[in-house]
Amino acid sequence: MLQLVADGLIVGSVISLGAVGLTLTYSLLRFANFGHGELLTWGAYLTLAFLGLLLAGAEMAPIEPFSFGWPLLVALLLALPATAAIALAVDWALFRRLARHGSAITLVIASFGAALALRNLVQFIWGTLPEYYTREIQIAIRVLPRDVLGGLRITPDQLLVLGLTAAVVVALHLFLTYSTLGRAMRATAMNPSLARLAGADVAKVARATWVIGAALACIAGVFAGLTGQIRPMLGFDLLLPLFAAAILGGIGNVWGAVIGGLIVGLAESFTVPLLGAEYRAAGSFAVLIAILLLRPTGLFGARA
Amino acid sequence: MSALSAREVVAGYEPGLPIVKGASLTVAAGEIVTLLGPNGAGKSTLAKAIAGLVPVFSGSVTLGEADITGAPAHLLLRRGLGFVPQTENVFANLTVRENLELAASLAGLNRRAAREEMFGFFPDLARLARLGAGRLSGGQRQMLAVARALLVKPAVLMLDEPSAGLSPKYVAEVFAMLARVRESGVAILLVEQNVKAALGLADRAVVLVDGEVRLDEQAGPLLGDPRLAALFLGSREHG
Repeated sequence: MLQLVADGLIVGSVISLGAVGLTLTYSLLRFANFGHGELLTWGAYLTLAFLGLLLAGAEMAPIEPFSFGWPLLVALLLALPATAAIALAVDWALFRRLARHGSAITLVIASFGAALALRNLVQFIWGTLPEYYTREIQIAIRVLPRDVLGGLRITPDQLLVLGLTAAVVVALHLFLTYSTLGRAMRATAMNPSLARLAGADVAKVARATWVIGAALACIAGVFAGLTGQIRPMLGFDLLLPLFAAAILGGIGNVWGAVIGGLIVGLAESFTVPLLGAEYRAAGSFAVLIAILLLRPTGLFGARA
Repeated sequence: MSALSAREVVAGYEPGLPIVKGASLTVAAGEIVTLLGPNGAGKSTLAKAIAGLVPVFSGSVTLGEADITGAPAHLLLRRGLGFVPQTENVFANLTVRENLELAASLAGLNRRAAREEMFGFFPDLARLARLGAGRLSGGQRQMLAVARALLVKPAVLMLDEPSAGLSPKYVAEVFAMLARVRESGVAILLVEQNVKAALGLADRAVVLVDGEVRLDEQAGPLLGDPRLAALFLGSREHG
């Protein structure tokens, strides 16, 4: 029982971070970006590439008790701006041009195209075989004995993912609540025209939103790679859970996306023993449908 | 010299389909000019064109001595032009305090000092500081929207129908507040449908019909003037 909760929260952490980026870009740019999942994939692969450059063939000395060493963290820091650059490039080349004349549906379809292109580019560069940041085998720590609600075992990497996700979400909350740019992002999401009158450069705010959304996607991608495999389909496979989490929490609501992500992760985790692993996604969607039937605007959505 | 001047402004949403067709007006420091006209006359479009939200196809807009024709809207508040739109004029997802602090920070001001100054001017807002702006009443929203525009000490304040949707009590409150703002030397351009209230407050009235200025006179004597009724009823023979 507790093991299922822990597994669900770990998967949910990755989904939460991805969903926050998705919900931020949706609320500011007013379209559902189906290419967001690929930013997770690119974040994971760019970190892998920077890690390769940093190690230059040498072995990575792990920081005990984790499976990875400092080079992975440095590689992640390098991959953050690189992933953001990809998001800005796609916006510049595609979305910003189409937004001038096209409708929201044009942008949605364009985002499908961008997703395909980005995913195929990953396959072209890195191939389709799974990759790993480290080949170290981690032994899960027994946190609770088997006779307490079925017991709980968790690896240090998984614990770190949980802790860092919480830290990132709190940092984002503080940024959105207290910084001028964060407040301008919230104001622009509410009313772009009024935000301009209040002195906000809406184009700059939109760029900042892409950068933050992509950085969160990069972190989520690395967490997914660290607790599983790095594959070209990593982001695509997470896309529907990301949307489920964002919609569940109320599209545009950051805390909603976080809670939505954790609920989707837990629903997936509990579906496995009840219905089987092949129904994993079905479980989370059943929860999504049930909540939307009760609250059509999502858990924390104020506006439809 | 005028604080705000629009000369022969042609503006609209689509090129070739102007809504404002060569309108001119001026507002001096410490003066309230009300922009009146029937529905669809182009009053709001002219205000939005001055504020940089609607394209100006020809003509010019000057703020003091600076030409601000077609300037990006986000730069105008800092340059001294505050605009309060008719609807959705506060950020409902931000608190009262955040609404004020955001405008102050974006203008490069000390946000605490600017906020406290506005709370001094509008004590009711100080009481509501932590409340979400979405929970304010219509009159309180207008007050917050005006405070947000005023905190950068603009030379010109433009308001698009601040009385719309308000009860007579709130209209009186908002107009009394505008009279106080005028005393501080701010030039005010007031777009209004509430002709009686606007003429009672303003120093001068500009009447716009079909995108063109038909009257530009002292406000007080216009109240009850048959030319005004004729213009509002669509007759052009008096224009």
